[in-house]
Amino acid sequence: MPENTPLKVLVLGASGYIGQRLMKRLDASGWALATGAARHVPPSASGAPQARWLALDNRDGAALRTALQGQDAVVNCVAGDAASIAQGAHTLAQAALSCKRPPRWVHLSSQSVYGPASGCVNEDAPLNASLGWYGRAKCAAEDAVQAYAADSHGHAGNVRAQAGAVILRPGCVYGAGSQLWVGRVGRCLAARRLGDLGVAGDGYSNLVHTDDVCSAVLAALRLPLTGRQAAPAFNLAAPDSPRWNRYFIDLALAIGATPVDRLRHQIKLDAWLAGPPLKVAHILLRKLGIQTAALPDPLPPALLRLWQQHMLLDGSAAVHDLGLRYTPYAQGLAESAAWFAQAHAKPTGAQGVRGRA
Amino acid sequence: MLDANRIAPGSVLHADVCVVGAGPAGIALALTLAERGIKVLLLESGHLQPNAATQALYAGEVADAALHSPPDTYRHRLLGGASAMWGGRCMPFDALDFETRPQVPLSGWPISYDDVLPYYPAANEWAEAGRFAYDSAEALPGVPPMLAGFDRAQVLSSGLERFSCPTHFGQRYAARLQVAAGVRVVLGANCTALHLAPDGASLAGLSVRSLQGAHWRVSARHTVLASGGLECARLLLASQDVQAAGVGNAYDMVGRHYMCHIAGNVGLLQVKGKPSAVRHGYEVSADGIYCRRRLQVAPTEQRRLGLGNAVARLHFSRITDPAHQSGVLSGLYLARKFISYEYAKRLQDGDVSLKRYAQHVLNVATDPLDTAAFLAHWLRRRTLASRKFPSVILRNRSNRFSLEVHGEQFPRPQSRVTLSERVDALGMPRLRVDWRYGQDDIESVRRTLDVMAHAFEASHTAQLSYQSQTLEEDLLRFGAYGGHHLGTTRMGSDPRSSVVNSDCQVHGVRNLFVASSAVFATSSQANPTLTLLALSLRLADTLAARLAVPTALEIKPVTPPTSIEPIDVNDALTHRSNTNNASNTNSSEVTESA
Repeated sequence: MPENTPLKVLVLGASGYIGQRLMKRLDASGWALATGAARHVPPSASGAPQARWLALDNRDGAALRTALQGQDAVVNCVAGDAASIAQGAHTLAQAALSCKRPPRWVHLSSQSVYGPASGCVNEDAPLNASLGWYGRAKCAAEDAVQAYAADSHGHAGNVRAQAGAVILRPGCVYGAGSQLWVGRVGRCLAARRLGDLGVAGDGYSNLVHTDDVCSAVLAALRLPLTGRQAAPAFNLAAPDSPRWNRYFIDLALAIGATPVDRLRHQIKLDAWLAGPPLKVAHILLRKLGIQTAALPDPLPPALLRLWQQHMLLDGSAAVHDLGLRYTPYAQGLAESAAWFAQAHAKPTGAQGVRGRA
Repeated sequence: MLDANRIAPGSVLHADVCVVGAGPAGIALALTLAERGIKVLLLESGHLQPNAATQALYAGEVADAALHSPPDTYRHRLLGGASAMWGGRCMPFDALDFETRPQVPLSGWPISYDDVLPYYPAANEWAEAGRFAYDSAEALPGVPPMLAGFDRAQVLSSGLERFSCPTHFGQRYAARLQVAAGVRVVLGANCTALHLAPDGASLAGLSVRSLQGAHWRVSARHTVLASGGLECARLLLASQDVQAAGVGNAYDMVGRHYMCHIAGNVGLLQVKGKPSAVRHGYEVSADGIYCRRRLQVAPTEQRRLGLGNAVARLHFSRITDPAHQSGVLSGLYLARKFISYEYAKRLQDGDVSLKRYAQHVLNVATDPLDTAAFLAHWLRRRTLASRKFPSVILRNRSNRFSLEVHGEQFPRPQSRVTLSERVDALGMPRLRVDWRYGQDDIESVRRTLDVMAHAFEASHTAQLSYQSQTLEEDLLRFGAYGGHHLGTTRMGSDPRSSVVNSDCQVHGVRNLFVASSAVFATSSQANPTLTLLALSLRLADTLAARLAVPTALEIKPVTPPTSIEPIDVNDALTHRSNTNNASNTNSSEVTESA
């Protein structure tokens, strides 16, 4: 096969935040031909003109097998509920193994597989599924990836993408368009529901820019895996990503959500009393097809746990092995704030200072 | 975190750096070093909560009770140290504070403002005092000036004070200390002696005792004393096994040049115009920090006129005098018995007659709205708030203020702390404090006030008057400003006139350092904590650099004092043991707390 034949990559969960960015990056790479798969193909899919899109439920084994035909690699960016994450990964493993030439699998996992770990955590740290459904699902998905890596070992794979798998464990993915870590945080800052949390916000943010996650995926697609039975894992977190309080204050200043309040009890009440009903309301409205933008963002208790978790995700292996160059925090922050200001054009009550208390 | 009693008697604990004292300096230093992979043993005399027996180890004597608070006040022996009760005022030193100034005898540091400046932003962050922005134009854009129409080059009114929460470092950073891989905190661990190597050129180890009788040693490549401006001197003086005068005291410098600040409410400032044109209270910066403007004679004028450094804030009149007719102030006076010693001290002077009480009660009774509004504000913004409103500020309807002066005290050798004949529960000599001030301190404030008065008059905005004959009394009514313990191990390049060098290293002892306001060569107008933090972070750089050159750091084998049997050395920091043998006193294992 000629060297300039593009690498065919199936992206599962391609309509999500990371998935859409990844589609564009693959499209622009010059060496990949991406096919985006999602339950609902997004209208913005035309943003990657070279790419193909198909509607797919990632838990549908038969459909997955069909979609994988002729693909050199698959990137799993599926988010959503526990079943989509855990069962979806298991289904993908079986479907991929049934391929004549099993594809390279690049799997987007999460720092949550480390559970309540604290201190500096590298990829050798044990997985811990004790922190809620998300961490459990992500751990189960990694199990499926590892099983696939072992079972596909020895298969020839494809000429340009050896079989096998690579796991990426990003921290909190931010940047322009990040609803979770820029949009939600910014809206809560503007509403004075977030601010300087003191001890409750002293955990490490482990922020990583979307572009860096995409760069890591691109590198993982072509990472040599000769002789490896286990899927290598890479943490993704910028070395200069600050503690949460610093991020909250920096973002608040950048979007004009000032003065930044110091919060103590309010944030707990917000999470424990308002969090669950807001979450339920969001789910119900979404099921009914109603926009949720008018509702306040829920701040579930799990977020409070995260914000005070002193886990410093060591993302240096990705630098050494994947050649990743992390986006500087200042740059990511500025870009995130600019996007937030544009996306929330309505003034957020910005003012330089508050008058005499 | 370990308890000192869980370490087997006779053990020797090893570390790259041993930090004695877990106050703001010790905690910031230990965590900063640990982030660089340096193994740190952090010894703290107290625990997480205050304890009377531990606090009593601070007790000592003062030469003149009218001039200085008892040594066990303003200091707190627990994790977090004096940050458990500090006011949180965070100000950097000025560049001229580091300079040699003819008007300030013994002034001049061996380092400059530029050497410390890089560390101030991080110091602000540790203290939770926001950005390192200390000028109104930068920190409070668009906010009206402190005094409308007062814009004089001679006297600056745009300088800011920023306030910490005030952050209790023990509570705020406990979780970091728990998870930091390189830090082991030992609570209840009192360093009672420093042991020099026989040649006196390095520290061989230090003795640690608990109030419950535990006794063990530490051998570290470097040791940092971070136990406060008085206690560092006490420990150096009391450690006499190799050098009879104490460690670092070959030239009788340890404990001398003891400085606090010259502070008090003086004068009457009558501002012209509307009260609304005066903003004497707290503003909130964009980053959420309480900030307050103050007056300061410009550095160029200080140099030209030969003044010491000082600031003044617009303040209400003396609380104890009911003539102010303020229900709030009288309420504070009446409630002073419920306020801690440190904060009630300035409510304790003068006449306590029935008549005066009655006048204060009358003030409260006739000013119920203001009093209620104040209480509601205090409850919401101070008592229940996590970032606390820093101090009592009253609406001023009369435009009459006093000036709250906070001025530099000139260093003088005869102002000093020494060891008392009496010992504490651990056998350590207690401290005797003989704080002295001089007429030059008072004169400097007097001339500063004169400059300010002239500037007010020239601007036609206000008139400042003060009683010259009572100025000394006004400034010394409560003695030395409490809690600012400076200069007892002053920094200098000459061992004959200082105790530590520009690296905060004790002269002649290559692996012993001081992270304390004790190293301040001059006292500045600024409260000490921010500069103490900055110097501690600078020391972290110094230590990291020294530890990065292992060949230059080899220390001679530990020679234990005769009272301690040499035993197997266990490294509490690198050998984690899961065995639960703490009660086995024959064991030489160092166990971790559960």
